[in-house]
Amino acid sequence: MDQNSAKEDGSSNKGPLQDTKEPEKQKAAAESKQKEEDLGYSLYPERNSSKYAQGSIGESLFTFKHKCQIMLQFAMDTSPYAKLLLGAMKSSGCAVYKDRHFSCEDCDGTVSGGFDAATSQIVLCQNNIHQQAHMNRVVTHELIHAFDHCRARVDWFSNFRHLACSEIRAANLSGDCSFVNEISRFNFGLKEHHQACVRGRALRSILAVRKVSREEAERVVDEVFDSCFHDHAPFGRIPHAKKDAKFAYRDYENRDRYYANL
Amino acid sequence: MAGSHSHWRTPRSCDVYWSEFKHCKSLFNRFHEYYTYGRAPDCQQWKEDYYTCKDWETNHSTHTKESLQESERKRVAEQRKFTPVWELRQTPPADWHLPLNQGKPQDP
Repeated sequence: MDQNSAKEDGSSNKGPLQDTKEPEKQKAAAESKQKEEDLGYSLYPERNSSKYAQGSIGESLFTFKHKCQIMLQFAMDTSPYAKLLLGAMKSSGCAVYKDRHFSCEDCDGTVSGGFDAATSQIVLCQNNIHQQAHMNRVVTHELIHAFDHCRARVDWFSNFRHLACSEIRAANLSGDCSFVNEISRFNFGLKEHHQACVRGRALRSILAVRKVSREEAERVVDEVFDSCFHDHAPFGRIPHAKKDAKFAYRDYENRDRYYANL
Repeated sequence: MAGSHSHWRTPRSCDVYWSEFKHCKSLFNRFHEYYTYGRAPDCQQWKEDYYTCKDWETNHSTHTKESLQESERKRVAEQRKFTPVWELRQTPPADWHLPLNQGKPQDP
């Protein structure tokens, strides 16, 4: 089952591990590797080095990079969710450039994407995203993390409340928990099921990228849920489907007139 | 001030109020309100705002202007009814636009 996870970092050394004979260097390397695992980087093995050289024949023949890039461009051009987020980020001073802020890579089997706060990049798992609708959703989900990174002092590395909050928002606002998506996962629920789904997916995302007990993760999610579930920025509403997102985008385009006449 | 009154425009155009009302009442939205909040949506305000908006177009009275402003300010307040978990920034992160380190040099 595909899942998104937010991958974030403070200051860990992300260079490739060197094989040396000096014990201090070996110890530092081991510590660095441990830190990488603690932060979920092992899910994204291509963050440090990729199997095929960029632009090589091997890359075009044996990876889905090209397909990923085409689907990404289509999502950025046509998805009202993505367009709104891109516009809001530009207004906040974080204009998004496809070549700089997105990276299509092969990832671990279960993950669809991630946000790397250390490099300000959104990772798209080209080996796990094969449909446009899925790409749209992953792009939206990760852009919400990027948006939070841009507009708030989010401590991805050491503040679980911040991490949980961004995951709650991303699950809530990206369409991850739409009725149709939940049904496709055989999660049948009706009354207030959206909230249960958001809690569950936020929990899963946290557990995927941090070494923390389920009880601890649940506690943190419960603590911040009320606040973060009601933070709908930049949509102004929970966009359950394209029509909601289109209305939200319309509001965003008219924001100058709106606030000038309040 | 008389000057600003004549330059004032409704926060949204009137057809937007109507389309929000129709969308609110739709089966799709009623289902999703139940799916999310376990209740029926309250759409009446959109309808009232539409009529107030049309009123403004015909007679430009202070009463209609203030009524619409109050309604929209309530909506904004509703969207802000939570205590943020984090501190908002005044400026974007300094490293957002920095180029990637292609060689990824080792940090000391």
